[in-house]
Amino acid sequence: MNPVQDVPTERLALSGWQRLSPWAVGLLLISAGATLVRQHMPLLLGAGAGLAMVERVGLRELALGGVLLLLVAGLLSLLYYRRFRFRLDDDVLIVQKGLFEHREFKLAARHVQHIALHQPAYMRPFGLVLWEVETLAGEASSIQLPGIRRELADALGRGLRSTDSATVKGLPADNDSAPSDAEQAVVRYAISPGGLVLHGLTSRSIYVIAAMLSPLIRPLERWIHDRLPQLDLQAWLPESTLLAIVLGVLGLVIVLAFLAVLAAWWRFHGYVLRDDGERQVQVSGLFARQEQALSLSRLQVVEWVQTGLGRLLGRGYLVCHQFGAMGGGGAAESRRFLVPGLTTEQGRALTAVLWPGLSIGQPLARVAVIYRRVVLLRLLLGSSLLLLAALGLVGPGGLAPGAWAAAAATLLVISTGLAQLRWMAVGWALEGAHMRIRQGLWGQRTSHFPQQNLVSVGIQQSWFQRRRGVATLQLDLANGRLSLPYLPERVALTLANRLLASVESGQAA
Amino acid sequence: MTFDNPSLDPECLPALERAPLTPVSRRLAPCQALLRLLHWTFIVVVAWVFPVQHELLAQWQPWLAAGVAGLGIVVIVLGWLEARRRAYGLREHDLIYRRGLLVRRTQVLPLVRLQHVETLSNPVERTFGLVRLACFTAGGRGADLLLEGLSSERAEAVKQHLLARLAAMPDATSPESDTP
Repeated sequence: MNPVQDVPTERLALSGWQRLSPWAVGLLLISAGATLVRQHMPLLLGAGAGLAMVERVGLRELALGGVLLLLVAGLLSLLYYRRFRFRLDDDVLIVQKGLFEHREFKLAARHVQHIALHQPAYMRPFGLVLWEVETLAGEASSIQLPGIRRELADALGRGLRSTDSATVKGLPADNDSAPSDAEQAVVRYAISPGGLVLHGLTSRSIYVIAAMLSPLIRPLERWIHDRLPQLDLQAWLPESTLLAIVLGVLGLVIVLAFLAVLAAWWRFHGYVLRDDGERQVQVSGLFARQEQALSLSRLQVVEWVQTGLGRLLGRGYLVCHQFGAMGGGGAAESRRFLVPGLTTEQGRALTAVLWPGLSIGQPLARVAVIYRRVVLLRLLLGSSLLLLAALGLVGPGGLAPGAWAAAAATLLVISTGLAQLRWMAVGWALEGAHMRIRQGLWGQRTSHFPQQNLVSVGIQQSWFQRRRGVATLQLDLANGRLSLPYLPERVALTLANRLLASVESGQAA
Repeated sequence: MTFDNPSLDPECLPALERAPLTPVSRRLAPCQALLRLLHWTFIVVVAWVFPVQHELLAQWQPWLAAGVAGLGIVVIVLGWLEARRRAYGLREHDLIYRRGLLVRRTQVLPLVRLQHVETLSNPVERTFGLVRLACFTAGGRGADLLLEGLSSERAEAVKQHLLARLAAMPDATSPESDTP
């Protein structure tokens, strides 16, 4: 099938009402049921509550109730299937859905900023995908078609894209070539198994996994407390308590690193980034395959992220931000258009592809030295409070005077080192029409964006900053706020004026 | 097609620091003071009447409430002074809002980024004839610029001006990159 010739035919076919796949509705019912059971499992099984309920209600009555519930769920699913329909009316996607409250969504192609396809393992045998489209309003505004045929999803994407590119380029929609076939696309990057392992180790997944597993600490602690004396582990545990603790921490870190590598394999297995002209398409996933298409005309900020370990190993990843991708931390970041496991050179080369014309050559300018002193003072204040708290807990006699002095000296050295690292990490540079801002401490994030992509500018000055002639420049971008603290006041104002002129003259042009 | 890319002289760019700003309504200070007074009165009452079991704490409870009241008075006075210093400026291409007393913040919103405008007011603000003007940009989760302390007439005029600018733009909803 030649998509070039078949786009008008596809459009014609899509102009009629389409429905979700019946298989998808069945799968949705099963997955929703499984989620419901999983969520209420502790309530049913916990402390014999389920058994007590069976005894009270009776097994036969319970089975009848279950069958009745299934019937109701089946009927509701049927109703959901009948209500859920969608079609493409010229360049507008119309979706109607809702069980008890009927809702209609209309989305014009020119407002589409992101299209994603997800294919969980259980949908693969049926050739179904979960299709998701996001508007300029961001993640909160996404519309999902939870289970349509792959071909239909592709046709829908092409339909929206062709009208969009026609709008952008001023071409008639029928003339659009919609270069979506893989043959025309250039493979920009494909991840290797080694790169995947290194990405797992150097990404932020390790922290996300640690946070996810933290609720298990208490039950694990209880289990160890109950079972450890019976297991007779004394024979192989090291005699030194310190050594045992170090080995325990090391073991925990190894387990977390292993889980992080597994998570990287799960999410990014077979990662390929294809350059499709105006679009960048990435496909990845071990069991749940997902395909994301990024329109370069919708791209707002490209962020080069390196964790502390990533900097040591020379690895990092790129996050492409569009409108409405604010906050959410590491877990939300992984849902965005992310290029994993890159070396520094690969990161630079890909950034230049995403921002044509950008040359990362300018050295980063640092903020005023006074910032280092301010950070040091804040850290010293925190350290003093820490010492005072320790003093309050153990009392002055709890430790020898030498130990108190050593603790104070250690905190002073650490604070000085951290303040220096913080000051060195913050930097900015103007690269022609683009701007580069780096932030961080040990791990660093560098944002690259065209100056005209700025949303708003703020200049903040505390009483102290006014006395010292410095100011904090706050730049609001599509993905949130970037701050350049303690810039010389003149520099901050000049930068603000220049950035505003870029935004305003860019739009006027 | 020819392409020009002339260099810009930073000294010739419109200077933000020299933009004339208009103070917000003088009624904002008493309005904010009244709102804060209601807020702090509630906190002081809670601090005073909250049942405390410990005898020593119960003895000190009126003093604690007095301390909270003192803090409230300081906050109200600072808020009053701060409200008197707030100002805004409307230039051809952007909207400027300056606020803050000890920490002063000037925010500039280019009008090309504007998506929609809202006016808001609570009963106290309506008593003082004041309105808040909320300006939203694409993808934001809340108002990107909240202009407080405008009289109803002034807020309506500014809103109409912004809406007229919004309508005059080719496609105000799209980001800049809609143009290739």
